[in-house]
Amino acid sequence: MKIPSRKNGAKKTTKKTEPTPFRIFLTLAQINTLTLGGGYVIVPVIGNSFKKQGWIDEEEFYRIFSRAQVFPGPIALSTSFLCSYKIAGVKGAIAAVLGVVLPPFIALILVGGFISLYGDTELFKRFLKGAGAVVPGLVGSMLWKTAKNRKWTTRALIEVGLLTILLVLFPSAAFFILIGGIVFIYLGRLIWKS
Amino acid sequence: MEILKISLAFFKIGIVAFGGGWSVVGLIKQEIVPSWMSVDAFSSLIAIAQSTPGPIALNAATLVGWQKAGFFGALAATFSVIAFPLLAMSLTLAFSRYIPIKKDLADESLRSGSMAMIIMTLWTLLPQNTIPMPWMFALASFCLTAFTQINGVWVILGSGAINMLLGLLP
Repeated sequence: MKIPSRKNGAKKTTKKTEPTPFRIFLTLAQINTLTLGGGYVIVPVIGNSFKKQGWIDEEEFYRIFSRAQVFPGPIALSTSFLCSYKIAGVKGAIAAVLGVVLPPFIALILVGGFISLYGDTELFKRFLKGAGAVVPGLVGSMLWKTAKNRKWTTRALIEVGLLTILLVLFPSAAFFILIGGIVFIYLGRLIWKS
Repeated sequence: MEILKISLAFFKIGIVAFGGGWSVVGLIKQEIVPSWMSVDAFSSLIAIAQSTPGPIALNAATLVGWQKAGFFGALAATFSVIAFPLLAMSLTLAFSRYIPIKKDLADESLRSGSMAMIIMTLWTLLPQNTIPMPWMFALASFCLTAFTQINGVWVILGSGAINMLLGLLP
């Protein structure tokens, strides 16, 4: 790896390119192939890359990012989709979807083939079992981090509490409880302002 | 038929896939355990989905589809899970002027929803018995990822490797 000298460093990092759909696809595909970890790891990487190529400024990017959180689906997908639409229109948005979806898909098809080859060996089973055992811990730490970063009000506590009880009691209706619950909470906040 | 079922299940999941990958995992589990696979198989699948590049919900969909119906199952599941989010965004971009939604209120509501989803996910994935080993792995990984900057992927791969080595012991 070459370390850019300080003299022309500033110029090099703001190398501007035209945001063609193909370049958007390449940029996102590259980031999605190389970045491990959840959406909140990958989104800043996408922001930096778009900024460096002169496609969008940071403030605009994070404005779109916060809007993207209102939509369901992976946050990396919605942020890329909305940003690319902003800078390159419909074609850009399509390129973004392909850039986010294709690389992991191909990687997993390869992994899937690998697993059906080696999945039956005792050693590999032990590996998968060990890997699976940490999943509850990771969910727990996600919960901890989300809870820590939220401004808690009595209202929010009640909302989360009630919704959780319903979800745990009636898991088979989770889909309807969530949709209904979120709409209900929204209307509640709209009508009774606290 | 199988592929149609997969598509429908993941289309539904896509509609309520709010608030980051982990909140969705519980929902996916609700759809496919135990009718399609066991809890243990599901946990391993999630570990793979998390330690390969790409969004976890998307990866989980691809893997479930692959296990149930091969390549086309994987394709159907992947596109079904993003179908609704893409549709919702496109419609919003087209009609945003006419939608009188208060963004900050919607944000808070979704936060409450996704928090409840994460708690449900945690609740359903906790070990179902008191064998100490799984609890120790889970607790250790919680401490490592909650209180240090270590990426969860390394915890997953490391734990798999440790369990493999333990198997080699006499």
